[in-house]
Amino acid sequence: MMRKIVLLCASGMSTSMLVKKMEEAAAVMNYECNISAFPTSEASKRGADADIILLGPQVRFDLNKIKKQCPGVIVEAIDMRMYGRMDGTGVVEFAKAKLGD
Amino acid sequence: MEGLELTAFQIISAVGTARSCYIEAIQMAKKHEFEKAEKSIAEGDEMFNEGHAAHLGLLQKEAEGTGQGINLLILHAEDQLMSAEGFKIIALEFIDVYKKFKAMEK
Repeated sequence: MMRKIVLLCASGMSTSMLVKKMEEAAAVMNYECNISAFPTSEASKRGADADIILLGPQVRFDLNKIKKQCPGVIVEAIDMRMYGRMDGTGVVEFAKAKLGD
Repeated sequence: MEGLELTAFQIISAVGTARSCYIEAIQMAKKHEFEKAEKSIAEGDEMFNEGHAAHLGLLQKEAEGTGQGINLLILHAEDQLMSAEGFKIIALEFIDVYKKFKAMEK
């Protein structure tokens, strides 16, 4: 099953670089997913039909608000160490585990 | 990923976490959970210092003439650093104000 993973940060800039790393990692793992990045201001528009929403460390404080905006969607913060290393593999594995895949 | 790009992400990640901690501290103070709020400020400071150290490393390299130039990502990292710095000041003020609110309610 194709999974939809949405990354959110303040401007969508730093997370869009993580998208590339995650896509590379997912290809190696043979994990079928569609990964995209947006600013948190577009959370309800872009995240409502996602399987999981992952937040950058700079917008972690908005976690509860985004949960309310996207009911039924798993919303998690990305580990700051993984984020700082742009660890695509680690973040894909984290998403997989949260989705139970 | 390596060099300047990696340092930029270390800064963004560390000061971004600090910024979240400071804003979470305001959210806690709003619920009159002042001990938690102060713990969050302390956690934010720890993260901020980490990001600041990475930024200082870049400044030192530039002063030595071995800097790697500027790109948009580094500017973005500095932007996040400034934002975190500003939010700390605001968070401390908010905690004070919410403490006064609590005292007035009695």
